[in-house]
Amino acid sequence: MLEAQRLSVSFGAQRHVLRDIDFTVAEHEFVCLVGPSGCGKTTLLRALAGLTPISNGAARFKGEPVLGPQTQLAIVFQDYGRALLPWRTVAGNIALALEARGIPAAEHAHRILPLLKKFNLADHAAKFPAQLSGGMQQRVQIARCLAQEPEVLLMDEPFGSLDAITRQELQDEVARLAKDERRTVVFVTHDLEEAIYLGDRVIALAANPGRIAEIVDVELPRPRQQLGTREDPRFLQYRHRLYKHLAH
Amino acid sequence: MKKFFWPLASLAFFAATLIAWKLAADARLINPLWFPGPDRAFAKLWEWIATGALWEPLGKTVWRMFAGWLAACVVGVALGAAIASSSITRKLFQPSAEFLRPLPASAVLPPAILILGLSDAMIVFVVAFGCVWPILLGAIHGFRALDPRLLEVSKLLNFSSRARVLKFQLPSALPDIFAGMRVSIAIALIVTVASEMLSSQPGVGYLMLVAARAFRSADIFAGIIVLGFLGFATNALLHKLEDRLLRWRVP
Amino acid sequence: MGSVVPLSVLALWEILSRIGLLSEDGFSRPTAFLAAGAKALADGTLLEQTAQTFSAAAQALLMSSILGIGIGAILGLFRPLERAAQLTVDALRPIPSVALIPLSLLIFGFSRNMSAAVAAFACFWPILIVTTSAVRGIDPRLTEVGRMLGFSLLHRILKLALPAAIPGIMVGIRVAAGIAIVVTVTTEIVSNPRGLGHGMNLAAQSLQADLMWATLLWVGVVGWLVNWGLERLERRWLYLR
Repeated sequence: MLEAQRLSVSFGAQRHVLRDIDFTVAEHEFVCLVGPSGCGKTTLLRALAGLTPISNGAARFKGEPVLGPQTQLAIVFQDYGRALLPWRTVAGNIALALEARGIPAAEHAHRILPLLKKFNLADHAAKFPAQLSGGMQQRVQIARCLAQEPEVLLMDEPFGSLDAITRQELQDEVARLAKDERRTVVFVTHDLEEAIYLGDRVIALAANPGRIAEIVDVELPRPRQQLGTREDPRFLQYRHRLYKHLAH
Repeated sequence: MKKFFWPLASLAFFAATLIAWKLAADARLINPLWFPGPDRAFAKLWEWIATGALWEPLGKTVWRMFAGWLAACVVGVALGAAIASSSITRKLFQPSAEFLRPLPASAVLPPAILILGLSDAMIVFVVAFGCVWPILLGAIHGFRALDPRLLEVSKLLNFSSRARVLKFQLPSALPDIFAGMRVSIAIALIVTVASEMLSSQPGVGYLMLVAARAFRSADIFAGIIVLGFLGFATNALLHKLEDRLLRWRVP
Repeated sequence: MGSVVPLSVLALWEILSRIGLLSEDGFSRPTAFLAAGAKALADGTLLEQTAQTFSAAAQALLMSSILGIGIGAILGLFRPLERAAQLTVDALRPIPSVALIPLSLLIFGFSRNMSAAVAAFACFWPILIVTTSAVRGIDPRLTEVGRMLGFSLLHRILKLALPAAIPGIMVGIRVAAGIAIVVTVTTEIVSNPRGLGHGMNLAAQSLQADLMWATLLWVGVVGWLVNWGLERLERRWLYLR
């Protein structure tokens, strides 16, 4: 579905942010990219989305090179406050994706409603982003991305700005969503436990320059549970195995 | 009850000021030729309203003011969007706009009269000329200020340039555009009245100038009240419009 | 690069005038009005008019500053008084300064005072508002110190309130200075036979379009220079603090 083929990104001659990244994301797979700060995981995600130019190698989506941003590769940003239109309501923001797809206004309401329900936003449909908590704003962004009906959902540290409890709620919501709708997800995080908790596969990146350190298949039963899964001995094994890649 | 205390106190203070004015005029502490009491000013205003003498000049003043201001809004926003779209156009045009902003708008009256003659169209043109610069500069600033993250979102969603301007840049620029509009509406009133006074075109301004020459000070004060009210009303209306359109802003 | 547009406009103006598309009576042409301007500068008329305009504006700024800072300080120190005065301020402030021209004509006739009075009204409000909020924003600790030291009201204003509020007040004065010039020129155009505004009017009425445009250009340059100078001054002042 989505491939990085010996992908390298450099800014100028000196700054090699990513070197020879090579992996494939299969359909319906939930892949997590984890690594220390500055290892280039956000750059990698943006390169896959067509937002950052690739210096060497390629990113391929369904076999074709990714030449620029496209609605099929929806990206959920960490700074949700800046990714939502402050002058539109919750419903209006979700509608933006429908407008982008050229769906006539008459059909908007009946497409937005299920999304609102799914994310518990139905009571807040007429509110503006400034009136919502961080967690709710992030839900709106995710809802908008889903309204794009993308083939791949790219998520860039989406829960990094949220408090621990909201983070856990949203982790479970995204995990459930991904499985129910059989979504293909590439999820970037600096939180190793989050990566293992959510992913079918975890790709650990090392820094300077960014490169793949290790890829681990996570064989933990689904649906995952915040308490149960995190105390599973295999979870702890994965953690031990990957922890060294996070150290600087 | 407490909630009404300060508004009432404010009203009492204002009333006290008016009473002091009246007493001073009666006691001849201030020259009553120049400062007739508030009672005479309001009486004259009432007379204007009752005889209908107010409406035509007021109507003319209001129409010129709004026609010029609206023209400036449309031109200012459209040009601002165009100029903001590339750094080359900005470097070319923004300095000229910045240079023209401190120019007193009334200063273009003599050339305008010379070229366009004494007419409504001339006044509307001068008002528009005076109003356009703050709106233009506000629009340029506003259109540039779109959050880069939102720009990325617009690209990711594959919107056309036209859709991007309408759905992203224009709403984002509105706060700055409104700031320019607030400044210009004040300019619009001033320039309209000044134009009427200079060009002797029928309107509230001309009415007051004629009264000054005939030493009719009650008329002058009635005119001041009308213009003060006009200034207040236009400000309040614009404020309400801004509150409605920009109600999404963080309080 | 900012001069490309103005220079092109002037060039186009010159060409259109020479080929007869722009009537010379009203539009004149750049070569003509620049020459007229140079002449008016040389024989002193422009400078004399500038001095007249500036003296009226300066008088206005002085009067409005004294009144604005004085009343603003009192309102800033005594919140109840400020709240009581709210309606009066809100009723008087929206009055456009030009509305006072007929009254000022009645009282002062054609004179420097006529222009200065109207401009002073316009300048008073920004200074009042800025001073009130600057004084109100003063650290309450400072006020307590003043009362503990037994300062009279006047001393509290002069020694504590005003010095602490000065940066905020300076911004108000800068805004007011710009307003002073604009309003003064406006009064001269509309009625007062002195200063640059009158110079433009006179030139227009005597069909000397070149002198009129030259004066307008001069007004633009002077206005821009004053604005620029005040911004530099303010930045230097803020930097020193």
